[in-house]
Amino acid sequence: MDIQFGLETEIGISREDPTGIDVVAESIALVRSATVPGVRAKWDYRDEDPHQDARGFRVDQLRQDTDEANYFAQDISRPLSFAEIKSDLVLRNGARFYNDHAHPEYCTPECSTLRELMEQDAAGDALLMACASSLNATTTNPVRLYKNNTDFLGHSYGCHENYLLARSLPWEVLAEGIQAFLVTRQIFCGAGKYGWEDEDRFLHPGFQISQRSDFFSELQSVDTMQRRPLVNTRDEPHANPARYRRFHVIIGDANLSPFATYLKVGTTARVLAALQNGVPSHRIPRLADPLGALQSISRDTEWKWRVRTAGGRTVTAVDIQRQYLELVREFAPPGPVETTELINSWDEVLTDLEREPISTSDRLDWSAKHRLIEVFRESEGLDMEDPWLRSLDLEYHALDRESGLFFGLLDQGTFRLPFPELKGATADFHPPTSTRAAIRGGCIERFGSRVVSAQWDAVVLQGESARITVDLRDLFSHRDVAAGLDVLRGAQRPEDLLSLPFAKVG
Amino acid sequence: MPDTIEKPRPASPAPSGGGDGPREPKVEKPNTEELLKRMRKVDPDQAKRYRQRTGE
Repeated sequence: MDIQFGLETEIGISREDPTGIDVVAESIALVRSATVPGVRAKWDYRDEDPHQDARGFRVDQLRQDTDEANYFAQDISRPLSFAEIKSDLVLRNGARFYNDHAHPEYCTPECSTLRELMEQDAAGDALLMACASSLNATTTNPVRLYKNNTDFLGHSYGCHENYLLARSLPWEVLAEGIQAFLVTRQIFCGAGKYGWEDEDRFLHPGFQISQRSDFFSELQSVDTMQRRPLVNTRDEPHANPARYRRFHVIIGDANLSPFATYLKVGTTARVLAALQNGVPSHRIPRLADPLGALQSISRDTEWKWRVRTAGGRTVTAVDIQRQYLELVREFAPPGPVETTELINSWDEVLTDLEREPISTSDRLDWSAKHRLIEVFRESEGLDMEDPWLRSLDLEYHALDRESGLFFGLLDQGTFRLPFPELKGATADFHPPTSTRAAIRGGCIERFGSRVVSAQWDAVVLQGESARITVDLRDLFSHRDVAAGLDVLRGAQRPEDLLSLPFAKVG
Repeated sequence: MPDTIEKPRPASPAPSGGGDGPREPKVEKPNTEELLKRMRKVDPDQAKRYRQRTGE
């Protein structure tokens, strides 16, 4: 089956003068300031269950449950309902925008091409910047948004990836097969960081290539906020659980560079496609110490990225990536032109990383950030301990066209783009037409006032005499989506959707 | 710490003969002056005052 994918990005939020700010209140206010077309406070939380483990059991408690309970106790004192605190907004592009505890979070709709994903991720950035701009029109203390993963004090927040896979791929094969790939892909999708951290504390200054690699201490688990795992076992498919699984990747950095996002999601999807197609177990790269390698690769100041394999050989992260590249060439099913271009870009970036890592600063966040900040450090005569470097690091991630350092580089044309024709595109908030997001978004656009509830796998509409459920749990074929769109375009009222095979009364 | 933009490390020689081997990447040089101006406006203590809750 085709692998569909999406991103969910938690955003850092502050003010120019952050003295005394309440980040939860800031996040709620930001999400509620959105004016894009969508439906508010209709997200259906009833069937969410992050305790279900893909290894075949359900955990009683997550490590973060205590924190969550404490946050809930704090939040309950706010003069807001649960729905108001969450402030869920389901957009007409099929995306979700809400307050995830203390961070505005934008979740792209499901995409089946990388081009779609680039468009939808850019729409999220544009939405966030529009919200900040709206709030900042009436204050002398502007909101500041950061698409990053840390506050440099050991508090990390995520940019998660989701990949829809066939359930027939055994979990053990998936988890074993993807592990070394996830550990080593940071050489091209790390966002770079000036500082080393541990959970809840800053360790010391120093550059590393990843924002998130300091925060992983387990090989596999269902947790996402404490003692995070390389491979997250959350089993919440948001689809028919008999046929599908959603592989939830929590290890990635939030990327500003479109090329880094393109490589991150594209290569991961191709490796998953190869695994789904049957890579022999003996061909899968394995590391002797995956958790140790994750940190040592990120923190390697020589950018050689040596690791030890399970067989005892010393190789480099580039070597491991090249093994995966070969597996993809051999075992992943052929794809469209986009796939060929992705493979070529992957090959090229590995060649460049091996020969001259900083030459990738026209594509990758970590090398672009390092190159830029080192120029500044030398011009100002700063040493590596200077805290200004962390402020510049933070500013690289600012979602602000005028001040953000990434956008400064982007606007100078120094970044290569995977789809140059999308450069400068404004958010139009139209869903991808090839996935079920088109049906979700279409329901929001055409029948927004009749939406009773929405989730990734269902939209419930109020008809004239009964509720109508549009069941999206099995809607993953392009042909079925196209047929559904034909009906939706002609529908005058929710009842007209009942001709769809996946819509029903009740 | 690896070298920087100011002192680029010597690159491997590009393959000769115009074959299909890897090419030396061409990297656009940023307009450093404009970006340095932008960077000087960044409050050196901005990150010290940046506090977030742990997320997922």
